[in-house]
Amino acid sequence: MIHLKQVTKVYPSDGANSVTALRELTLVVQRGDFVVIKGRSGSGKTTALNLMAGLTRPTSGLVELEGVDLWSLPDRQQSAMRNYRMGFVFQFPSLLPSLTVLENVILPTIFGPGLAPGEAAAQAKNLLATVGLEDKLTAFPRQLSAGQQQRVVIARSLINQPEILMADEPTSNLDEQTEREIIAILEKVHRLQGVTVVMVTHTPYISTPGALILELAEGRLAKQSRI
Amino acid sequence: MNVPRLIHRNVTRNPFRSGVVFSCAFLLAALPFAVTFITEGGRASLQRVLGRLGADLLIVPEGAEVKVETALLMGKPAPVWMPRENLDKIARMPEVARLSPQVHLATLAGASCCSASEMFIVVYEPDTDFTLRPWLDQHLGRELGPGEVIGGSQVFLPNPKANILVYGSPVSLKGNLARSGTGLDQTLFMTSETAREVARMSKTRAEQELVVPTNQISAILVKLQPGTLPERVAARIAREVSGVTVIQSPALFQATRRELTGLMRIIFVILTLVWLLSVTVAGLIFSLAAHERRRELGVLRALGSSRAFVFRLLLAEAAALAFAGAAGGIALCLTLAFCFQEAIVFLLKIPFLFPPPLLLAALVLGGLLVALLSVVLAALVPIWRISRMEPAQAMRE
Amino acid sequence: MKAAAASLIVLALLIGVIPQFTDCQSQGKAIQLPNGKTLPMKCHWTARAEIAVAVPLLLSGILLISCRHRESRRNAALMTIVSGLLGILLPTVLIGVCAKPDMPCYALMKPTLVLAGSLVVALGAGCFIRAVRQRDANP
Repeated sequence: MIHLKQVTKVYPSDGANSVTALRELTLVVQRGDFVVIKGRSGSGKTTALNLMAGLTRPTSGLVELEGVDLWSLPDRQQSAMRNYRMGFVFQFPSLLPSLTVLENVILPTIFGPGLAPGEAAAQAKNLLATVGLEDKLTAFPRQLSAGQQQRVVIARSLINQPEILMADEPTSNLDEQTEREIIAILEKVHRLQGVTVVMVTHTPYISTPGALILELAEGRLAKQSRI
Repeated sequence: MNVPRLIHRNVTRNPFRSGVVFSCAFLLAALPFAVTFITEGGRASLQRVLGRLGADLLIVPEGAEVKVETALLMGKPAPVWMPRENLDKIARMPEVARLSPQVHLATLAGASCCSASEMFIVVYEPDTDFTLRPWLDQHLGRELGPGEVIGGSQVFLPNPKANILVYGSPVSLKGNLARSGTGLDQTLFMTSETAREVARMSKTRAEQELVVPTNQISAILVKLQPGTLPERVAARIAREVSGVTVIQSPALFQATRRELTGLMRIIFVILTLVWLLSVTVAGLIFSLAAHERRRELGVLRALGSSRAFVFRLLLAEAAALAFAGAAGGIALCLTLAFCFQEAIVFLLKIPFLFPPPLLLAALVLGGLLVALLSVVLAALVPIWRISRMEPAQAMRE
Repeated sequence: MKAAAASLIVLALLIGVIPQFTDCQSQGKAIQLPNGKTLPMKCHWTARAEIAVAVPLLLSGILLISCRHRESRRNAALMTIVSGLLGILLPTVLIGVCAKPDMPCYALMKPTLVLAGSLVVALGAGCFIRAVRQRDANP
């Protein structure tokens, strides 16, 4: 489904030194996979995820989605692809503070001619019920705990029924109990809806059988295994 | 949830930032609008007075042009006199189609025999008059009779059955001229017959006698034959009639116009400085906002909004604030002008009338456009930069 | 609500103070009697009466800031609206000002009071609606 072919990513920095985050990395994510990307800080995990999502351009190499070079597409098509086919859960609080919970979940639907407003609202309510936040529709993000905010983010990531869910350290700021809950929701989404999940994480609570573990070190794939 | 709501939420979530941009747009629209509005209001007012005079030339005693202009503009009467025989000298000129004399008088200051203190009275001769005739024909259908007057728009009776007292004689107000935004709005117009009768009765009725000289007049209004060059006739009159100054209609109120023009030059410099400052401040605010909202905009891109969408969204926010600020500024100007128009005329001593509706609409539109374009210009570079940023880079701490 | 109430306090001060300096008497345009005394004109009495409008308006503004109770805010807002209306009616209908447009009371005092009064009525109405919609713990 997603194929990184010999991708290198170099970040220019001030002065003479630049940072090479990934070095000729090649990896494949199959449809229906549950992929966990691990590695020490600076190993290139987030960069790899961003490349797969088209959120950053590789310095060299190819990023392909279903055989199509992501960076051959014009921005509008690439954005539409992200809108319809991908969902994102970020490490940092990514809800828009001026929108309510319900509005935040509906937000991705306004970027394209997908769901009608009424349908989007109904779908959003269903998703929020699924993550146990049906009573928080009109609350603002500042009124929620970190764990609750991440649940809303997960609901938002699913509003357009994506094929791929990308999560970048979604539980790094959460307590253990909440971490387990969030991981459980992601695994449930993968199991019941067949969504391909690609997650950067250090959590020990992954229990999906057959989950693919990719370990990165110094910008290269160091180890690959399955649960 | 839709784009307009998103714009509204984004705009209202940071009141300080939005308030600053609003204020910049407010100033950018209000100041130039106010200046052009007052200027055009002054022009409209002077135009109405000129139109009402209906004369191609105004002849006044030598050296009295400023006094006469002030009398017409401010309604402050000033006694100016010249020999009545000037009329005959000018009437003999073949280029002159019509001419009509006027005598300028004033009611007494603080006297009980006059209803209004120091009111400007214009005495005209019905046989030759061509300035009031159009109004009389349209509204009264006849000439004024003895003891009858018409007034400017601000002249009125305390109750419908009362009369105005002029030097102890009651005169009947038969109508009011349209507003001119000058002192003419507080002027009484009466025939020479009425003036002579009031003067006669003032000997016994008034605190001070009214003297209406028989051989002297204050001004002569001249209408020329069609196709005649006013400058040529003006020069001839100046040569052949001594002791007079000839004012061509377009040159009337020259002193006032010069004052307004001088004021405009100073104001233009101030406006330019304000424009530069406002655009700079707005640009800074947008740069700050773009930097502060980098991560949020990166998230929007990650969720599937295109570069063009982010650009249009931010531009729409800027435009919404600009429009609101500009509309607020212009609305305030119009409200203040409407409420304080008398203060503008009588306390600031600027002739003022609301410009015609089409011109007013053009001024409003112009003010809105200036503010909109200026704010959008200020926002363009920071918005362009942030919309081009890679989502991953934008979301990085 | 607080911003509106603060604005009302400012408007109350304007309504009470400005007429004292824009009536004809304070501008030296009062009627002088032969015995040297000054005859107060309508604008003088209007200016005095506006003090009687400004004081309750000031109190309303303070109440709107300090009270949390929905009923109190609603009543204070009603008082504000009435004060604003009186502020407009005094210089126009109830007492009036001098009739000549070049008199400071006509050119300045009256339009200022009408404008301020209109703002007070608008703000009062806004506060009233807000108070009615307010979800109060102790309604």
